[in-house]
Amino acid sequence: MPKPKATKTYQQLSDEFTELVAWFESESVNLDEAIVKYEQSMELLKQMEDYLKSAQNKIKKIAAKFGEH
Amino acid sequence: MDGLVLAPSDFVALLNQTLEIAYPAVTIEGELSNFRVSKNRWIYFDLQDDQAAVKFFGTVYNLPGPLEDGLKIRVVGSPRVHPRFGFSVNIVSISPVGEGSIKKAAQLLAAKLEAEGLFDPARKRLLPEQPQTVGLITAGSSAAYADFVKILNERWCGVEVSLADVYVQGAQAPLQIVAAIDYFNRLPKLVDVLVITRGGGSAEDLAAYSDERVVRAVSASRTPTLVAVGHEIDTSLAELAADLRASTPSNAVQLLVPDRAHQLQVIGSTRAILTNNMASNLAGEAQRLNTKAQIVSNLLNNFLETERQQLAASRKLAILFDPRAALKRGYAIASKNGQHLSSIKQLKANDQLQVQLSDGKINSKITKIIREN
Repeated sequence: MPKPKATKTYQQLSDEFTELVAWFESESVNLDEAIVKYEQSMELLKQMEDYLKSAQNKIKKIAAKFGEH
Repeated sequence: MDGLVLAPSDFVALLNQTLEIAYPAVTIEGELSNFRVSKNRWIYFDLQDDQAAVKFFGTVYNLPGPLEDGLKIRVVGSPRVHPRFGFSVNIVSISPVGEGSIKKAAQLLAAKLEAEGLFDPARKRLLPEQPQTVGLITAGSSAAYADFVKILNERWCGVEVSLADVYVQGAQAPLQIVAAIDYFNRLPKLVDVLVITRGGGSAEDLAAYSDERVVRAVSASRTPTLVAVGHEIDTSLAELAADLRASTPSNAVQLLVPDRAHQLQVIGSTRAILTNNMASNLAGEAQRLNTKAQIVSNLLNNFLETERQQLAASRKLAILFDPRAALKRGYAIASKNGQHLSSIKQLKANDQLQVQLSDGKINSKITKIIREN
C-alpha cells in the first residue's frame, strides 16, 4: 500500500498549515520571515496534496465475537 | 414407564429433561396479556391466541423496551416446569412483531426515553471533522457495509476502520450491537467515532435499532456516535439517541469525512492565494526599496551640489589670493637673498635685489632708499 510522504496525519498537516496562515494574517509580517513561512506553506500544501492522492483507508475486522454469531 | 412411581420432584426433573431434549428452544408468537413486572426485576406474561394461552417468565434485561398488553410479540425461550409454579417458558429474547406492534412498542419506548432526556439535542456532541479511527458496527456481509467502504474510499483516505461484524436483525441483533458498542467503549484508546449502520428493511428488520438496550447503549457511549439505519424515511430510536443521524450508510460517510476532491480544490486555490499575496508583498517591498533608494539618491545629489558650490566659492577665493594675479595687475615681489621683502628696514644702499614680475625676474641694485611714513 503506498504511503504518504509525511508520516503525519492529514489533520496534523492541516493544523500546521492553519497556524502558518494565522501568522500571515497577523499585522506585523516581516518579509524575510514571510519568505520562509511561504516556502513552508507551499511544502505543507504539497504534503497535504500528496497525502490525499496516495493515502488509503485501512479496514480491519475485529476478531472478537459479539455474542452468538 | 407403566408402573413406575415417581416423587413429584422426580417427575418435574424428568419432564424438564425431556423438554430440554425435545424443545431446547421454542419461538412463540402471540398477543401479550397479563404483563407484569415484579420487584423491578422479574417479568411475567402470557401469550395467547383464540384457543390457548402460554405463560412466560424472564427478567427485565430480556425486555426490548416497555411493553403493554395487546401487543403482538415473538418470544424465544426454553419451556420448563417449575417445581411449585408449574409450566412456563423461560424467556431468552422478546421482539415485537408486525408493523403495528413494532410502532406501538417504539412509541412507548420513545415516550419513556424522551422523558429521561436521552434524545435531548443539548446532549449531542460534535463529531471530529477528520476522524482517524472509526468503529463500524454492522453486518460484514451486508450491502450497507459494502456501500460504506466504497463511498469512504471514494471520498476520503487515511481512516482506520475497525469492523464489528454483528447481526443487524433478529433476536440476537440487539445484544450483539450492545456488546459491540461496549467493546469499542472499553478500548484503551477510544476510536474517534462509532458508526452504527444497516440498510433498509421492514419495520421488523429494523426493530433492533429501536430496542431499549441498543438505544441506551448508543446514548451512553463515551465515543461519539453516528447512526444510520435504513432508508431516508426510516427513523429508529437509536438514531434519535445518537450524536449525529444519517439517512443511509452512504450518507453516514458523507457526514463522517470531508470530500477529497473538494479538499484538493481548496488546496489549489489556497496555494494561488498565498502565492499572489507573497508576490504582492514582494512587489510592495520592492516599491518601498525603490522609494528609499530615491530618497538616498536625492540626499546624495543635494550634498554633492552643496559641496560643488562650496568648492567653486573656495576656488574663486583662492584665485583672489593668488599672488600671480597681483603680479598681472602690475604688482611686484621684491626679495633679497631669496627672502621676500615687506619693509625698507631690511635694506641698505647697494644691496642686490631680485624683483619678480608676472612674466619673469630682474636683478637690481639699490641706489637710494626713500622712507615713507
